[in-house]
Amino acid sequence: MGKVVFDVQYQTTLAFLISYYFYFTGLSAGSFMISTLSYGFGLEKFKPASKMGVVTAVLLLFLAPQFLLMQVCWPVKSLWHNFVHLNPISAISYGSFLLVLYPLNSIIYGIFMFKENKKWTKIFGLIGIPLALAVHGYTGWILAFGVARDYWNTGLMPIVFLFSAMVSGISMMILMIMIRDRFFTKEKVINHDLIDSLAKILGWLLLVDLFLVFCDYSVLLYSKLEAQEVAHFMLFGKMSFWFVIVENLIGKVIPMAIVMIPGMRKSYFWLILAALMNMAGILVMRVVTVYGGQALPLM
Amino acid sequence: MSNPHKNEKNGDKNLPRWGMLIDLDRCVGCHTCEIACKFENDVPLGIWRSWVKEIEKGKQPNVVRSFRPTLCNHCDNPICVKVCPVHASWQREDGMVMIDPHLCVGCKYCMASCPYEVRYIHPQKGIIDKCDFCSTRVDAGLQPSCVEACPASARIFGNLNDPKSELAKLVATKPVSTLKPEMGTGPRVYYVSLDNATMEIKREAKLIWEK
Ligand code: SF4
Ligand code: SF4
Repeated sequence: MGKVVFDVQYQTTLAFLISYYFYFTGLSAGSFMISTLSYGFGLEKFKPASKMGVVTAVLLLFLAPQFLLMQVCWPVKSLWHNFVHLNPISAISYGSFLLVLYPLNSIIYGIFMFKENKKWTKIFGLIGIPLALAVHGYTGWILAFGVARDYWNTGLMPIVFLFSAMVSGISMMILMIMIRDRFFTKEKVINHDLIDSLAKILGWLLLVDLFLVFCDYSVLLYSKLEAQEVAHFMLFGKMSFWFVIVENLIGKVIPMAIVMIPGMRKSYFWLILAALMNMAGILVMRVVTVYGGQALPLM
Repeated sequence: MSNPHKNEKNGDKNLPRWGMLIDLDRCVGCHTCEIACKFENDVPLGIWRSWVKEIEKGKQPNVVRSFRPTLCNHCDNPICVKVCPVHASWQREDGMVMIDPHLCVGCKYCMASCPYEVRYIHPQKGIIDKCDFCSTRVDAGLQPSCVEACPASARIFGNLNDPKSELAKLVATKPVSTLKPEMGTGPRVYYVSLDNATMEIKREAKLIWEK
């Protein structure tokens, strides 16, 4: 109604770095889950992915927090203040512990796996699953507890984050297994069964992920003004290219179609394309959620 | 696990509970409070602890300008204090919401969580900063700088727990409103004649990658 003559702009400081942090913890949690399928749940056909999964999970977990530390203005101070002056009701506090416990557990789990100690691998794998869920789920809680922003403040947020973590993790594993089998094994043949099973899981998870997005947006559009405005901003406004086209069409719908159609799934060309598109789409999803969720001025 | 700020709000009615009332029937939109705050608190260029949002509505010849002076609401249930991982955002027993510069690690979580967008990153210090009701002045028995500077006496600062204070009387007798009461934060900055048009939610924003 009114024309703004003077107002002060909110400094949008949480943008790319924190999105990369969420992205890489997601990839780590996703690849960890794959690695537990055989040792934790006894699904033998996923065994060739286990070692790669755990090594990737650990390496990514050293990379991911670097972005977090770059985002924080006082990285060194934060390393100990987060423990010494801990506030138990802040979502960031859970992360400090999870980011220590989860890599430690993954390393122990990996060591037992490489020693072929089935029993202890299983135990640490099963301990690792709730940790992996928590380490990624808590990033969703961080946003969900930011009650000022309707885009974040939903109970779906941790679940949306978990699913996007799993799909991007599986896409990455598919690509890495292909590269390993093709170039770094004696036989130089790709383990087709494994890739095919992972691709099938990817398809179903993408379907759930899209369903969650649908649930989220249907409620946003029906909800109070602020929620409607942010949904509008994402669907039809300036963010629509990134949200609708890149995140959902390129990142989820097309890859899902590819892995759901058997003829296309069996073709390595299409499968590689689907995995790459999905990984890119999830990266964009992190930026859309973190930055897009707070781009609209609140008052 | 230590919280160095033991003296958090405890609801003791014998202690003061500071608050403010801004009477927009008196406000002339001169932005003096904004400047006074900048001087008093040495606020760097490009950021504000306290500012006056100004809008224009209507068509010539029926045009009016509405103002919404904005500052930290020193909420009773401050979300910024809840989300801070290191107790750097904390609340004094007299209700003032403070930032401990030694504890703050600059994670910016509080900034994103405050429904009123009154927090900013101090460009030189790399920590969060915002209005602190001029706590040092108040502790010395003075009024906050913006209150003292306002030429229209539109800002009234005082103790909400003292029924005889001017502020408590006004809050009790005038039709007052607060910003976004639905957020459950319990703001303690009250407005008289607040125009809803100054709080319109926008549908578009300038994105950070836009020139
Ligand atoms: S207005 Fe914002 S910064 Fe101030 S106390 Fe309330 S939530 Fe915290
Ligand atoms: S930026 Fe500082 S005051 Fe704000 S939540 Fe982080 S540590 Fe607390």
